[in-house]
Amino acid sequence: MANEESGQRVLRHAAVDRLFHWLTALAVLTLLATGLSTVLGLKFSWVPIHWITGVVLTLAVLFHLVRAAFWQKLRCMWVGVRDFRDTLAHRPPGKYSLAQKLMHHAMSVVIVTAVATGLCMLAKVDTPWWKRNPYFFSADAWGIIYVLHGLAALLSITLIMIHVYFSLLPEKRLYLRAMWRGWITPAELAAHHDPRRWQGQRGERA
Amino acid sequence: MELVRVTTDAWGREVLEGISWDLLPVAVAIGAFVIVAHALWRFTRKGRKS
Repeated sequence: MANEESGQRVLRHAAVDRLFHWLTALAVLTLLATGLSTVLGLKFSWVPIHWITGVVLTLAVLFHLVRAAFWQKLRCMWVGVRDFRDTLAHRPPGKYSLAQKLMHHAMSVVIVTAVATGLCMLAKVDTPWWKRNPYFFSADAWGIIYVLHGLAALLSITLIMIHVYFSLLPEKRLYLRAMWRGWITPAELAAHHDPRRWQGQRGERA
Repeated sequence: MELVRVTTDAWGREVLEGISWDLLPVAVAIGAFVIVAHALWRFTRKGRKS
């Protein structure tokens, strides 16, 4: 509290990563709402919104992959035996807890599956760049693509519910603030993380 | 409950059409189950601590 009042802060997420997170969230929610609208009985021209949002999500994912590979520490997200040992022994983690890493990886698999199959499905849509070609893949291949796309949509609903629930828990709200405003306090860093494994970037709050 | 939707093509062959939307409430139910289970565990743990 004293640190919070004194204005000290520890940067957890850079502005560009927060922008990626919220843009991805908005895109995924738009994709789910438009994609499931027909299942829920709503009738409107949802396909253009869906595929354009899908292209935005694809670009965001590509940006994140490049940024994570070249400008961030991939090791921060690696799940090792130590993560399980630390969790069982109630030892504080580095930047991310085991649960946060597993949620990230589960969501990554789901989003990448949805993006990859969605890109295939663009062959069935008229765009400014090409005319639709429903015979681009065989009927059997289309079936697998649609099943995987639908499965990714359903799994994303489950994961989003769990993700939102945990982000709203009082003891986890520091991470929601960090994803919105970027920082946690030095006291929160000391209480929830192992400073030998992650120190963040110190600074004064604006 | 079906896991996938199937249809017949022009040659009368059965082909996959997509995931069964019967699974939509299942996806929501699994999410709700995890949330309720964790909330109960959290509540009982808090009770034991105080």
